Amino acid sequence: MTHPAFEAQLDAYLDDELAAPDRAELEAHLRACPACSRLERRRRALSVALREQLARFPAPQTLRARVRAGARAEASRTALRRVPYWEALAVAASLAVVAFGSWRLALRGAAGEAITNQVLASHVRSLMPGHLTDVLSSDQHTVKPWFNGKLDFSPPVYDFAGGGFPLVGGRLEYVDGRAVAALAYSRRQHVINVFLWPAEPGRTQGPRAGTRQGYHLLHWVTPVYTYWVASDLGLAELRDFVALLQRGDSAAAATVR
Amino acid sequence: MESSELERFEAVVLPHLDAAYTLARYLTRNDHDAQDIVQDASLRALRYFGSFRGTAVGEGRAWLLTIVRNTAYTWRQRHRGDTLTTEFDEERHSDTVADEHPEAVAEAQSERAALRRAIDELPPEFREVIVLRELEGLSYKEISDVAGVPVGTVMSRLSRARRRLEEALCADPEDR
Repeated sequence: MTHPAFEAQLDAYLDDELAAPDRAELEAHLRACPACSRLERRRRALSVALREQLARFPAPQTLRARVRAGARAEASRTALRRVPYWEALAVAASLAVVAFGSWRLALRGAAGEAITNQVLASHVRSLMPGHLTDVLSSDQHTVKPWFNGKLDFSPPVYDFAGGGFPLVGGRLEYVDGRAVAALAYSRRQHVINVFLWPAEPGRTQGPRAGTRQGYHLLHWVTPVYTYWVASDLGLAELRDFVALLQRGDSAAAATVR
Repeated sequence: MESSELERFEAVVLPHLDAAYTLARYLTRNDHDAQDIVQDASLRALRYFGSFRGTAVGEGRAWLLTIVRNTAYTWRQRHRGDTLTTEFDEERHSDTVADEHPEAVAEAQSERAALRRAIDELPPEFREVIVLRELEGLSYKEISDVAGVPVGTVMSRLSRARRRLEEALCADPEDR
């Protein structure tokens, strides 16, 4: 038996992958050859060292959440394909009424530029491992109360899992000189961050979209909140998401009145 | 997709995320890329889940690891240059050693660091067979499925990888 062939056989033997006749032959050789039995001892020691010393890496909680959220979103997206044609058409028509202006109109001046950069930086930072959420939950009734005592307003939190944008969680951010709510939603492998804080009165404006460093940013102001949305998701799907948010807000406003 | 199908997917795939992430970490040597690869691979797994017919726990694991491995290799081709030069955090996983005997700790840590370095310096084709065999305990047949090579190749890669590790560990004290 040549040496390299023997070495591979020995490894297979130690891995319990050697067929019985070969095993008997190899064991006989090991008994007779001190050099090969030294090799066997070294291999056993290596295997023990590897099993004891090599790090296992448990999947981080955020990764688990992203995978689960992504799977849910993907599953509901493929389920959506089965909705009747006329129904899909009606949904598309209702979304089309959400008008989008161009970016420049929304962000005149250095103040607007500064906020844009802050939102973008917060979004990018949130995508680094472990930064996406302070409260990790797909349950809006867990996320919303989490903000109590942390902000001077109680942000609206929705669960759009049915619409294919499951809630991932929430966290605090600091934008425009104040603490703001950041909510993370997901769509397939994409993360969508929603930043919001109370609006100044009389500044209401419709959604505007722009792109920075490959991320889409959307901004609008309701009578109650200033909204920013950041994501690498395609603009068409982001607009669907914004439409869901707007419908959620107007439904909430209707129940208050 | 039916919700029962999603539940089956979660039952078959999610228990193996630790194994998936460990393999991705060893292949990329980078936390951030490993997370992206596992996420990407899970979604691919979901899309092809209809074609997965396995029932045993081990089958789900080998199937997910195959997808993770292929995703990592595609990823490496696409990002050639960045992922290979990303530095690997040397100390992070050295903290589980008990601290009552400083000398033993130092020795164990240096042994661990030397092993880590030796593993990192292996070509990915060798690194993956070591991880799949020593950490995950996969059989040669399962490794051959995951890596897409014949069982004979698995056997010779494992043997060559181990020889390299032995050589690296024996040579190491003189380096330090």
